[in-house]
This record gives sequence, structure tokens and C-alpha cells, in this order.
Amino acid sequence: MSDRDTDTIGTTAPGHYGAGPAQVTLCCVTLTGAWNLQGNARHASFAEKARQLFGVALPQMPNTTARSEAMTSLWLGPRSWLLAASGTSALVDFEAKRDAVNTLCGALFDVSASRVAYRVAGASAQSVLASGCPLDLHSRTFAPGGCKQSLYGQVNALYYRPDEAQAFIVMVARSFARDVWHALCLSAAQYGYDVTPTVSLP
Amino acid sequence: MTQPFRLPDDTTLVQPFRLRVGGTIDRTQPLGFEYDGVRYQGYPGDTLASALLANGVHLVARSFKYHRPRGILSAGAEEPNALVQLARGARTEPNARATQIELYEGLVAASQNCWPSVRFDVGSMGDAMSRLLPAGFYYKTFMWPPSPAWWQRYEHVIRRAGGMGRSAREPDPDRYEHCHAHCDVLVIGGGAAGLAAARAATACDARVLLCDENPALGGSLRGETDAIDGKPAATWIARIEREFGANPNVTLLPRTTAFGYYDQNLVALIERVTDHLPQTPAHLPRQRLWHVRARTVVLASGAHERGIAYAGNDVPGTMLAGAARTYVNRYGVKPGNTAVVFTSNDSAYAAALALHRAGVTVAAIVDARSTAQLQGALPQDARAQGLPILAGSVVVAAHGRLRVAAVDVTPLGGGPALRIDCDLVCVSGGWNPAVHLYSQSRGRLRYDDALATFVPDASPQAIVAAGAAKGSFALGDALADGHAAGLAAAHQAGCQAPTAIGAPSTIPLQSSALKALWSVPPRAKGDKCFVDFQNDVTTSDIVLAAREGYRSVEHLKRYTTLGMGTDQGKTSNLIGLALLAETLGKPISAVGTTTFRPPYTPVTLGAVAGHDVGPSVEPTRYSAMHDWHAAHGARFVNAGLWKRPHSYPRAGESEDDAVNREAKNVRTNVGVVDVSTLGKIELQGRDVAEFLNRVYINRWDTLAVGRCRYGVMLRDDGIVQDDGTTSRLATKHYLLTTTTVNAVKVMQNLDYLLQGEWPELEVYATSVTEQWSAVALSGPRARQVLAKIVDVDVSNAAFPFLAAGACGLRIAGGVIAARLFRISYSGELAYEIHVRADRGLDMWNAVIEAGEEFGIMPYGTEAMSTLRIEKGHVVVGPEADGRTTADDLGMGKLVSAAKWCVGKPLLARSALVAPNRWQLVGLTAEDRTTPIPRGAKLVTDPSHPLPNPMEGHVTSWCWSPNLDAWIALALLANGRARHGETLWAVSPLANARVRVRVGSSCFIDPEGERLRV
Repeated sequence: MSDRDTDTIGTTAPGHYGAGPAQVTLCCVTLTGAWNLQGNARHASFAEKARQLFGVALPQMPNTTARSEAMTSLWLGPRSWLLAASGTSALVDFEAKRDAVNTLCGALFDVSASRVAYRVAGASAQSVLASGCPLDLHSRTFAPGGCKQSLYGQVNALYYRPDEAQAFIVMVARSFARDVWHALCLSAAQYGYDVTPTVSLP
Repeated sequence: MTQPFRLPDDTTLVQPFRLRVGGTIDRTQPLGFEYDGVRYQGYPGDTLASALLANGVHLVARSFKYHRPRGILSAGAEEPNALVQLARGARTEPNARATQIELYEGLVAASQNCWPSVRFDVGSMGDAMSRLLPAGFYYKTFMWPPSPAWWQRYEHVIRRAGGMGRSAREPDPDRYEHCHAHCDVLVIGGGAAGLAAARAATACDARVLLCDENPALGGSLRGETDAIDGKPAATWIARIEREFGANPNVTLLPRTTAFGYYDQNLVALIERVTDHLPQTPAHLPRQRLWHVRARTVVLASGAHERGIAYAGNDVPGTMLAGAARTYVNRYGVKPGNTAVVFTSNDSAYAAALALHRAGVTVAAIVDARSTAQLQGALPQDARAQGLPILAGSVVVAAHGRLRVAAVDVTPLGGGPALRIDCDLVCVSGGWNPAVHLYSQSRGRLRYDDALATFVPDASPQAIVAAGAAKGSFALGDALADGHAAGLAAAHQAGCQAPTAIGAPSTIPLQSSALKALWSVPPRAKGDKCFVDFQNDVTTSDIVLAAREGYRSVEHLKRYTTLGMGTDQGKTSNLIGLALLAETLGKPISAVGTTTFRPPYTPVTLGAVAGHDVGPSVEPTRYSAMHDWHAAHGARFVNAGLWKRPHSYPRAGESEDDAVNREAKNVRTNVGVVDVSTLGKIELQGRDVAEFLNRVYINRWDTLAVGRCRYGVMLRDDGIVQDDGTTSRLATKHYLLTTTTVNAVKVMQNLDYLLQGEWPELEVYATSVTEQWSAVALSGPRARQVLAKIVDVDVSNAAFPFLAAGACGLRIAGGVIAARLFRISYSGELAYEIHVRADRGLDMWNAVIEAGEEFGIMPYGTEAMSTLRIEKGHVVVGPEADGRTTADDLGMGKLVSAAKWCVGKPLLARSALVAPNRWQLVGLTAEDRTTPIPRGAKLVTDPSHPLPNPMEGHVTSWCWSPNLDAWIALALLANGRARHGETLWAVSPLANARVRVRVGSSCFIDPEGERLRV
């Protein structure tokens, strides 16, 4: 997303907010591309051909992800994945890829702007998210590399735990993002938080 | 004789009943507080109750029904009497338990339920008239004369006399939040058993959450001198607290009450984050509601002491024995000068010894048990200290009004009374495990004869009771119990101890058995022996209820109000049902208990609502162009969760003026409207055309790539559900649009059909509502605007009506990909442009800038509505109101005869093809200028007596700036055959009527020439 776009989703300027020294940092995460890939993974060739097409594996285990240099694929359902990338080189040539997937009896939808992603990181990250997320965020049940779909408050949210300690990516539908950002800030204020500049998808 | 008790009559800040040493209070920092307008002093570590007692204030309340003077009975959550109105103004809180309010500098509280003051209360006349107010009095006394009008008069007075505190009138200034937590073992209660359990579970590497309603850990150990593992209890507690603090797997929640136990071990906790602070710190919520999912729960919630019912057992200065001990040992407060202890078990001896050590004269220990039964260590100790013990005796009456002055003691079987002067009576009838949460977990309770109380038996959920909550009242038992429960809970949660750890231990005390004693019969008729202090239920009320046939404990509760109110009968329930059992001649186990329901103690509504209040009661959805709309004067309207611009009034312009200007400008120049909120669903796969054929009434297999088509979707019963356009973007790729409010419902329905009904179809669907920002560009000059900003030929020949395709859109700084559709809702030449939502604002700015020279204006939903009414386009809601068929709405011809679709089989039902069905028509005010009232009924004779036969109703109405007339859409019986008729649109609600002429629902350009130019 462009810097100007962060205004339309209501995010606050980088800086320190709330009480005391920051125990959590909040920021936007660039999602230059996000494609929803659907298809029947039980067809032996589908997962393999899709892997060749996109250069990333399709995780078969629920709530897991796979990574390549250029992108992350997140399990959304038994026949549905989200291919997400921060770089501009990974998700290009949509029409050709869509037609290729269509010939595999699957589907490819461009949802690059559908979601807004926030990164919540730091010692109090779990506490901040626990104000609205009913999931168990502990690494024993939500290990790095995992993704889960649930709620933040009343809003549908997709949680992704990258390979870094105490960091979570929260993705919500764009139209709800302003509310979610404000709720995150409200919850984070009691711990003290820093808003940092936009980062790439880890 | 003891001096009659006096309240301090000036604002002295001494604490005459404060001990010079002892307790867990901090004497170096006095705190000032105000109670009933008088300034007092207390210390950090006090509760409001302990600070009042330190100042000699016992009388704190008037009872609910008889307005009898009442004092502080307990030192905890079970308190039935000491309910106060806490704080003032917007933060005032009724029915706060003085025994649990932590003292802070500047605390303000007042007694409630009395007028003009707690010492002199007019309502206490109810006490004198108590013969008129027996159990269930409102079903009896006030049922005469037998007319509802009289009851309504009585009720007014009764309600005012009763009732508790007052709630704030102002909006709640505080913030509340919710928090979700997960753990292997949730330990409820941080006393001896709870700490031992948490320590054992932690040693198994379990994730432990420990909550306690008090500000500090230790439970009943706080302020006591017991030794654990050879060290003072305080040392043991401090060590565990340090260990827990250093362990990331342990979460400690002080000031947190577990109040509700739900299915799958979901336990609700309320954390009082800032209630104990004089000022709410910025950023902190006042309270936090925890939703805890625990694999297993250890219930170490302790026990509540119960009293014994005797005449005058409610006079201020009467206190549970354990509470008196707590006030001495934990708070360093003498609850009186001369005490009589009345008991049927050993625990009260600990209180007597504590009082004695604190310098209180123990005038007598009245024990219902015989001397031979008093072999326990504590009675022996009391005897050794020289405390006078009256064995085999009972207190039969207490004297005094605002403070107890003396008690009468008789032998248990009756006999001459001995009067003993005192200003404090400490009572113990035994202890009841706090089984509330166990019972809420659907756990069964068992009556234990030895303890004379109900104890946990078995629960279908993963909950283990430990310590006093299980009936293990001795410290050594509680520690062993807690340790075992902690290990068992951790094991059940799948955690194992790496090495065996030992249970904490203490020196065991020999104890003598309890004698079950519930009440002492009064000697004088009319003497009241109270069972439930909060609801003024006496022993005679219970006997009366049983005599009148209320034999079930649930009926007893509802008839007498026993166990209702904010304390839910924590001190009274068992005595009440024991008396019921006695009256019925049944064992207590056969009578059973009433059901325990959440909450354990009252919970603020603010905490339940949490973040979801005010504008956040629902989330709000914003389009990418929202801020532009706001900056350009838009008035917003809610459409589902979306905020949509209603209109853009200019300076000095009314909303109506703005709507008319915007609507007129679309027909004469060009307008632009934000339609990002429309539901958008993309479909891909081999079988999409077949799928669309099945869900829409019209045909889709003939739709070519690059074209769009309007479709109508039915419910299973043939009624219109939704409408919208679908475009074919590529061979196997379609875009379907829905109405804004139905977007989610339609997506769910399509998902259901694909997964549940027709899994054989190769169709994939995904919602792309959020992916695309969309604008509709409408008006005769729309093409000129568009041509400036797109990189494709938009001439009528190259891009005709209902064309769809991709294009490049020139925005500031470059060209972005867009989708272009030639569809029209306004009936004018119109296009929809879709771009990635993060480019929505860029698109909007580009359109506005390009349109400037053509007089472009943004328009809102109201002008959009005016334009569609002028065109007779139906909307889901007003016209497609869940009762209309496609034919009713004039779209019967769309129903394809060549194929099946959802809802079609039931279209042939006789009622749906009846000749007189209401059909869509247009109405014009006969004089053009009289407004057609909203929701008006259509009748032939407006003067017909009511009920006036209705022939139809107005569904949408507006002033048409393009026709200069009031127009409306309506559903009218057999309407299509009645064009040209005149009728009356009447609204009895608005007292309005207007003569209207029936015509076509399409007022403008019925041939559709304007949109095809």
C-alpha cells in the first residue's frame, strides 16, 4: 500500500503513544499482492502444478503456512489458500496465471487490496491481541509459521505468526481496518506502544 | 453495663478501635475518606468496612423490608448488610459491599435504603407493622380490594420503600475491556489450597492462571500466624509469589473474581483494575472481563461462615465469628469492647482467642455443645487462657437497637436466662464451602452430615475442588488437598511433573466435632430470628411458607425471597433449607438446594459491554473515499455497517435542496456516486454459467465475455431475494454484484449451494467487495468525462450499453488497471469504474478533476434513490419486501421458461398467481405539490369509516426535481391494470391524505433511450 493509503485506513503517525516505555509496537504491513487460490488439492497434480506455477508449496495441514523467497502461502481451507507478498515481483501477470489455474480446474482471485495487515509485536503483543482475539496465542498452540482465522472484536481476522519472537500479523477486511486499528491502539495504550513505519510481510 | 454506642459527632480523625500493632495495614500513611458526610481516617490495606469499624461505626444500613438497623456482618463477598452507595455523580455505584471495597484517599460512600438517615429511618415503621408483612405479603395483604387499581397504588409505595441503591443518571465515564485467556489449569482462589494447587501445577510445567478476589494472595492466611513448612505463612506466600512472578507460564490476577462457569470450562472473571485507585490512570480500563478457557479448573474458593438464627440476631454489633477474627488479625481493628461468642463448632474459639489477645473482653463463649464434646485444641486453649465457656448453652435473644447491648443465654434445652452485657456478638454455626462455581459447572453437590453442609460431589466438567471449597477446613488438609488437586489438574491437562515435589505442610490441630444448630426458638411471640438479612426473611417466614404448601426449595425461595438479592443468600440459604427440612420432617439431603447461577457476585454492565458501546457498539465500515466525502460536507447515513454519503449540502443549503440539486445535475450534466459498498462476488470455473442459471430467474449460458446482465434471485419459496448485475470477465471468470445490505447473505447462500446442494459443479466463489472501490458516473456528459481518463474507446459503438471490460485509468502520477462497466441505475448514460480499493481515492480524485469542466457533482444515496424512483427501479427492502414475486415487480418476463432455478417450482402456487396480487405501480400527486406521506395506504374513499379497506401501500416516495412533482412507487392490488385511476394515499399516523394518479412505475424515459445513447 502507498503511504497515502495508510491515511484512508486511519493509521496513526509513527511515534510513541500510551503509558510508559513501549512494550509493543504496531505498524502496517505492505501487501502488494494477495491472491486467493482455490482448487481441489486431492487431485494429485493440482498442488504440484500450483507449486510450479507460483514457486511456493500449498500447505495441506490446516492453519499452517509455507514460504518461498518471494511469498507466503497461508492455508485458508481444504481447497483455499492465500498467496501473499510484499515484493512487487512475486504476484504479477494475473490473467495468465488465472487462466493456467482454470485449466487445472481451480480458480485464482486477485484480492490484493481486500485485506489490510498490521504487525503487533513485543512483550505485550499477546495481551494487546487478547482484548479482541478469542484464540490461544501461546506458542505451544500457535507456533511461528502458523495462521488462524478468527475474530478481532466483532471483525473477522486472519492471524499469521511469522518466524520472529512475539510478533503477529493481523489481517482484516479493508473497510473495517480503521476500527480495528483504533481498537488495537486503545488496547495497547495501557502497555505503552510505538507506531513504526510500514514494514514488508516477514 | 456497656456504654450505649455513639457515632462520632464531629470530624475527628482518630481511629478509637484501631489496634496499635498487627494486621497487614500500613499505619504510616493515613487515608481520609467520607461516609454519610462524615470524614474518617483509615489506612492502606483497609476495606471500607474495616476502616469504619476502626472508627467505631457498626450501623451502616437499613434492611430491605423492615428497615431494621443493620451492621457489618462479614468480612468478604458474602456480606448481606453492608451495602453502600459508592462514589458520586457519573461514577456512583449502588449496592457495593463495604467488606470488599479497598480504601483509597478521598473515597466517598453513603448508606442506602434509608431516609432521612441511617440512624433515624422513617421506613422502619414497616418493622412495627411487620404482622401485615408476612412472607409473600404482596400476594396477600395488598390483594384487597380485589382490583388492579388498588394494587397499582400499593405497588408505588412498596417499590419506593423497598429497593436498594440508585444507579447513575449520567453516561458511564469509564472504559472497560474484555480479555481472552487460555490455560492448562485455572486456579480460582489464592488461599492456602489455591496456592498449593498453583504451585504443584506450575511444577508440572502447566500454564497456570490464578485469580483471587482480594488485592493480595493468601486468602484466610492473610494476617494470621499459622506456620507452613516451618515458616510463617506470610513468608511461604511471599516465596510462592516470587516464584510465580519469575515464571512466564503463570498469570496472577489479584482483585479478580471468577463469577461465571460455562460449558467447555469457559470461566468468566471480572478484574477490578482501577477501582482501588483514587484517580483512574489514563489508558487503563476500569475493569476487565476475562473469558478464560481452561483445560482444567481447581476451585479453591474457600468457604463462607453461617450464623445461627435467634431473636435479634441482626442487631448491629452482631458479626460472624470468622469476620471478627479477620478484623482483628488482618486489619488490626477491635470490632467491640466486650464480646460474647456464640458457636456450635471450634472455629469460633480462634476468634475468641484473637479478640482476647487484642484486648477485647470475652464475656462468654456460648457453645451449644456439651463440655465433654469440647476436646479440640482451640477450646482447650481458650479454657487455658481463662475465657469463660458456657457449654451446652445457646444465645436466645439479643438486646439493643442501633447496637447490641446484651444477650440472654439459656441452657440448650431451655431454662432460666442469664443476661450478659456486650457490644459485640460473634456467631458461628459452621462453614459452607463456596460451591457456587462448582454448581454452575453443572456439578452435583452432596450433603455432608459431619460438616452439616453441602460439599462438591461430581461434575461433568474438568473441575476439582480443593481446600475449604471442598470441606477441608483445617489448614493442613487444605494444603494437602490443594497440592493433590494441582497435580491432578495438571496431569489431566497433559502436563507431568519432571520430579516429585512434596506437599506443603503445617502442624495439625486436634478439633472437636461440630453440632448442627440452625436456630434457637424465640421465647417471645413476635421476636424475629433472621435467616436472610438482605431480604428480611425470618425463621417464622420459612415455617409459614412450608405450612402454606411451599415444600420445594425453589418455591420457598420465590415465595419468601430467601437467597435472592445481591448476596444470593451466601450466609442464609443453608439455614433456610435446613429449617424447611425440619418443618417438613425430611432429611436436608432430600430437600436439596436451589440452583446457583452466575454471577457469583454482581458484575457491572459496563464490563459486560466492554469495548462495544456508543459508536463502537457495532464496527463501522468505511469506503476508501470516506475522508473525501467527509471533507466535502457529506452527511452520512448507515447502510448495513457502512457509512455512506447521504448528500453533500453546500453552505446555506438544506439537505433537501442538496438532494434535488444532485439528482437534477445527473439528468442534465453528470454526477458521480461512491458505490464501493455494493456486494461483489467473483466466480470461476467450468460450470459458472450453469450455476448462475440455477440461482437466477433468467438465462446466463448466453452471456458473452465482455457483457453484463441484470439478474433476479429468488428464495426457495419463489419470493424475490436479491438482484444485481453479473458480468463475464473471461471465459471462466464472472463478477456478480449484490445489494449493499444483502452482500453477506448472498455469499453465504452461494457457498451453501455450492458445498451442500451441488458439490459436483466446478465453481469457486470468493467475496471481492473489499478488493474493489467503485464509482458510478452518470449523466448525459458521463462519456465526455470518462473519455478523458481511460485508455480505451468508450464510444457507443465500441462500448455499448451492458458492455464490460478492462481498461487503464489515468490518475495523478500514472495509469492504473481498472474495470469498466456500462450499467445504469439512474437511467442515464452511465458507467461503473472499479479499481483496487487502495487506489479508490485516486480514482475518485481523477473523476472529479476530469468532470470539473462538465459540471460534475458528487451525489449521495438520497439523490440516487430519487433517480431510481423516477426510473421505477425496485429495491430489496421497500419493494422486494419479502412478499413480492418477480411478476409483482413487473419482471415476470425475466423468468426463463427454458430452465429450472431456485424458487421456480413454487412460483406456481395458487396464492402467487392469484388475480388480485399487489403489483408495482407509479403514483403522482394529483396536484403535484402535496407530499405523498411515507408508508401511506392506498384507498378509494379516504372518509370511509375505519378500518378503511386497503388496496395497496406506498413503498418509496420522493420529490422529483426532474418532474417537478411528488411521486411514489407503490404496490397496488391488480395495479398494472389500473393505470390512469385516481386513488387516495392516506396516512392516519401523519393525519395526511393526498389524491394520487396511478401510472407506470417508470416516470422517465420508459423506452430506455437515454441510457443507450
